[in-house]
Amino acid sequence: MKNEALTKFNQKKKGIEKHLIIAGAIIILAAIIFFLLYQNNLNTDMMFLPMIIGALGAIYLFVHLAKFSSLKKEFKQTFLKELFASLIPGIEYMPGSGLSSQTVYEGEFLKKADRFHSEDYLQGKIDDVDFISSDVRLEERRVRHTKNGTQVYYVPYFVGRIFRFDFHKELVGRLQVLESGSPKSRRRFKKVELESIDFNKKFRVFSEEELTAFYILTPDIMEAIFALEKRHPGNISFSFSDQQLYIGINNNKNTFELKLFKQLSEEEVEIFKHDLLVIKDVIQSLKLNNNIFKKREEE
Amino acid sequence: MLVNQLSPGIITLIVIGVIFIMIVLWYIGVMNKLRQLELKVDEAESGIDVALTKRFDMLTKMLDTTKGYAKHEAETLEKVVKWRSGIPENATLEEKAEFQEQMDQVARGINVVVEKYPDLKANTVFLELQQSIRNAEEHLQAARRLYNANVTKINHIIVTFPQSIVANAIHMEKKPYFEAEDRKREDVEMNF
Repeated sequence: MKNEALTKFNQKKKGIEKHLIIAGAIIILAAIIFFLLYQNNLNTDMMFLPMIIGALGAIYLFVHLAKFSSLKKEFKQTFLKELFASLIPGIEYMPGSGLSSQTVYEGEFLKKADRFHSEDYLQGKIDDVDFISSDVRLEERRVRHTKNGTQVYYVPYFVGRIFRFDFHKELVGRLQVLESGSPKSRRRFKKVELESIDFNKKFRVFSEEELTAFYILTPDIMEAIFALEKRHPGNISFSFSDQQLYIGINNNKNTFELKLFKQLSEEEVEIFKHDLLVIKDVIQSLKLNNNIFKKREEE
Repeated sequence: MLVNQLSPGIITLIVIGVIFIMIVLWYIGVMNKLRQLELKVDEAESGIDVALTKRFDMLTKMLDTTKGYAKHEAETLEKVVKWRSGIPENATLEEKAEFQEQMDQVARGINVVVEKYPDLKANTVFLELQQSIRNAEEHLQAARRLYNANVTKINHIIVTFPQSIVANAIHMEKKPYFEAEDRKREDVEMNF
């Protein structure tokens, strides 16, 4: 069934890619004709011809890019949704939605963006631990002054995923474990040095209460954080509060996307699975499924 | 130039004065650092007291619950603990470590009782206490680690030359670590 679906999507993708190549060829052809006419000072009345050809090529290109975009949506809505449900029963996957900006900034390790985008929303429960996550892209507005005037452009500073897990350990204040940077918050954080020199080198720990850092970051958890960082490359940040654990992985990656001119193989599917199962990995590595972290019945 | 007008003797005096001021400033800096760290060590020690008291309270409650099932065993376990009303204010670190060991002994004893009286496992109060004790154990471990981390920092300064000169001058001695044998701690994990 899965293989059939993969074959179906591969066929559709190949069809679109063929059209995109044709569109590209038309645009290149138009450019060559334009260049030749211009170089040889040939009939300037004919200049409109390459322009029309180029415009037709561009329209053709956009039409098929739109088709590819629809195919990506269809792939997510059908194939990935089914795949995810088989891996994490009860999971809800909404490709078009994402975490709200409020949720993203609640982690207090990301500064507010001038341009915010999120998608691929996931929500569910593993071993009784609630989680939500999505892809997030944050961009900063920059202004460049040139001879021709002022130019505004946007530079991404976070492209990756944000996760939020239930975390029910009683904490005093908040704790942040950041691979780089410092908390983006008005809280008074103290920098904490733990006993592990390696951990202090790799991560910067900030806490409102020093004891909280030692309480959460037990030697086992420090080891687990190290291992998680190795398994999931990118700049990783953790923010613990007495209700939630926020994790951000800034890996410059847009997950769960079909790629143009790259065959949708079993290996690709394995990457999708791996990207999904980060959630399970975090819950099990950080022992969020231990009784002490679980929501109690009376709460 | 003003420097050219000064005699070599005055220049020497100025240089000595500047060096002296620098030494005094450095001395004050190291002294303040040591005092601040000492304060942190004291704070961390009171953190240990809080955690020990919390654990003691929980274990006492647990013994009370256990009495309903195994009165004799619970009463015997109660006698193990030296201080019936918690930690006295003037207790030394060694005494606190001893107190902790006594509590470990009680916790191990409760484990044995639970094995003998499986009904205890069904008692909701007992289960909640078990959760709280585990939490108290984790707090104690964190307090111990924080204390020892601060002791390491201050001891490092005390034994390192030339800061050791300041430490000696203000009669600051190496601080003791709060030892807890990990093997023993594993033994008392409340896994019912």
